[in-house]
Amino acid sequence: MTQIVPLNKETHRALRVDGRASAACGDNRRFVQVIVKEFPQLIVHYPILFSKDPQTGQFYCGAMLGFDEGENLFLEEWQERESYRPLILQRGPFYAHGPDLAIDLDDPRVGAEGGKPLFTEQGQPTRYLQSIIWAFQDLSPGVEMTKLFIARLLELKLIEPVDVEVEFDDGTMRRCVGLYTIDQEVLSRLPDEVVVELFRRGYLRLIDYMIASLKQVPVMARKKNSRLLKATEGLAGMRASAMG
Amino acid sequence: MTVTQPVKAVVIVGGGTAGWLTAGIIAARHQARMKAGGFSITLIESPDIRIIGVGEGTWPTMRQSLERMGVSETALFRDCDAAFKQGGKFAGWTTGAADDAYYHPLMLPQGFAQLNLVPHWMRETHKHSFCDFVTPQGRLCDEGLAPKLITSPEYRGLANYAYHLDAAKFAPFLATHCTEKLGVRHVLGNVVQVNQRESGDIESVLTPEAGEISGDLFIDCSGFSALLIGKTLGVGFKECGDILFCDTALAAQVPYETPDAPMASQTISTAREAGWIWDICLPTRRGVGYVYSSRHSSEEAARETLQRYIGPQHRDLPPARKIPIRSGHRQTFWKNNCIAVGLAGGFLEPLESSAIVLVELSAKMIAEQMPANRQVMDIIAKRFNDVTMYRWGRIIDFLKLHYVLTRRTDTAFWRDNVDPASVPERLKELLELWKYHPPWFFDEFDRLEEVFPAASYQYVLYGMGFQSEISPEDTIDTGLLASRLRQENERQTFELRSRLPKNRELLNKIHEYGLQPV
Repeated sequence: MTQIVPLNKETHRALRVDGRASAACGDNRRFVQVIVKEFPQLIVHYPILFSKDPQTGQFYCGAMLGFDEGENLFLEEWQERESYRPLILQRGPFYAHGPDLAIDLDDPRVGAEGGKPLFTEQGQPTRYLQSIIWAFQDLSPGVEMTKLFIARLLELKLIEPVDVEVEFDDGTMRRCVGLYTIDQEVLSRLPDEVVVELFRRGYLRLIDYMIASLKQVPVMARKKNSRLLKATEGLAGMRASAMG
Repeated sequence: MTVTQPVKAVVIVGGGTAGWLTAGIIAARHQARMKAGGFSITLIESPDIRIIGVGEGTWPTMRQSLERMGVSETALFRDCDAAFKQGGKFAGWTTGAADDAYYHPLMLPQGFAQLNLVPHWMRETHKHSFCDFVTPQGRLCDEGLAPKLITSPEYRGLANYAYHLDAAKFAPFLATHCTEKLGVRHVLGNVVQVNQRESGDIESVLTPEAGEISGDLFIDCSGFSALLIGKTLGVGFKECGDILFCDTALAAQVPYETPDAPMASQTISTAREAGWIWDICLPTRRGVGYVYSSRHSSEEAARETLQRYIGPQHRDLPPARKIPIRSGHRQTFWKNNCIAVGLAGGFLEPLESSAIVLVELSAKMIAEQMPANRQVMDIIAKRFNDVTMYRWGRIIDFLKLHYVLTRRTDTAFWRDNVDPASVPERLKELLELWKYHPPWFFDEFDRLEEVFPAASYQYVLYGMGFQSEISPEDTIDTGLLASRLRQENERQTFELRSRLPKNRELLNKIHEYGLQPV
């Protein structure tokens, strides 16, 4: 159930919210929607790709976090605040309510133990709430800007499907479908005036980020591989002790 | 010395579906030459003649045709009131009993290129219909499912599909695309005079509105009037009413009771006393019509038959529009420098939506083999005539097949239809052959682009209970492969049923969000 109400500094003065990453609250996903403004922070960790909303078929930009359903290889790092967590997850139980914020009072993170206060005793936003306010200042226009970016790429036929296929040392394979990236062939043939236009709009840099970020796929694969190996070693150890 | 006379100017007379589709297919193929200024396409459309608007069903080939023309599929759905078509359902054709129905789906049988499943199906106990034995599509139709997802790119589907569309909207839709995107010149004018050279070639046409328009190659898309091929060049018409008896159609448009009423994604063709009723679902209305033989039914009786089918709702509708059908085709399709495409070339009852697919195939062949000059034109014309004549013959055979397999004896229409005198020789021969050799991939079908592949014959034959004698040894060697294909079919059916949305639901989403180009 959800119970979304506008955030109010009087009624919600004492409210605490746990904004940390947690598997139980939606951080355990292998793909998360992002906005173009986040690309610089994202490329140092994640492949940035396009995918389609299963309900509408519309493209959106996202960061790949894992290879299996519900797998986020970065969850621990997020919990330790070691790597960048996309805004759409950072926002926690908060929603945009016009220019203001709203909060889902039924979200388990609201009023949770270990949560952080939203307001100081004087009724001023805490640093945590301020970070949420800033997140939304980026998010709401950011989603629109990302849509414009995608629409222009589609017009130029710059988006192509890509199959991310990875083989792991335990002999298993993963094939991630429904992902799309920049068509570099088409990109290299764009007429000069279009290249200039893309550059002026800041799109060329975003395109380069997306292409460069694909190099994170093998890095992520190694990360997953070492986990798989640890699991098999653990299994082997159990077998050994059972035999002993 | 002969001077080579290059073919640089194509003039299409007629602005219906045939004219614009032909213009678009040729223009898409010759864009480079058109942009360089060495080739032009002009379409002359009469501002006074209305579009016939028959043929609301297409073949899957339309997807490729439109994609090559650079048309957005989303725009097609939105602007032409288009819907998915996954095949035909034929009700009452075999026995006329209440549960008598079979599908002619658009998907090929599983592993069609590897194995003919007909013998294996015959040897089973007939637990499944032939269609369900070899493809998921009949069951998808039964459940009113769409052939794709909202995330499927334009023109790509999980199940093969064609379109149902509003023909009155389709022609202007193509016109806009052809003139704005493909550089086709659009002239509004009535052709009042055709000027010929001594050789008989057409030199120009005269319109009071736009003056004289000359060309190197003329395409007659003027519909039943056959202005160039018939009236000017005098090419005769070969009737085939002695094979296909239906000669009249009564067409109606039936609104849905609620805007979100379920939509079938197959053309439903229901056999009646003296013909059959088509029923196709567009998002905003159904198109329903009775195609009948006036030798076997009075117009009054036919109207009653149609009204009974529509139900009490018919009282709120205007009287059904009467359309004469003159079954047959030109004796030659390409004469001199003139080609007949669309109704000018011929027409048959719309039982298998053959009209538009023939336009596509003809236009494609013209586009691919566009004569370089007048000197080689006759060679290409001969080929074109051979292929086109063959296609008409095959379509007539295939349509007749639906009638000749009936076991109905309730009316003279059905009894007369099995009269051997009304069955073309070629079809008789094939029926004899098929008693022992079920049609398949390789046999007999010798043309690169058959209008109806061997699979279509299988669906109709075994949908209507045709018996082929199979010796038990015939299926032994391929038993394992057959059971694998059967499993694959069950797996695919399960997967598609669990993933595909309802037909109407997907169409609503396409209207709201659109399909993506990739």
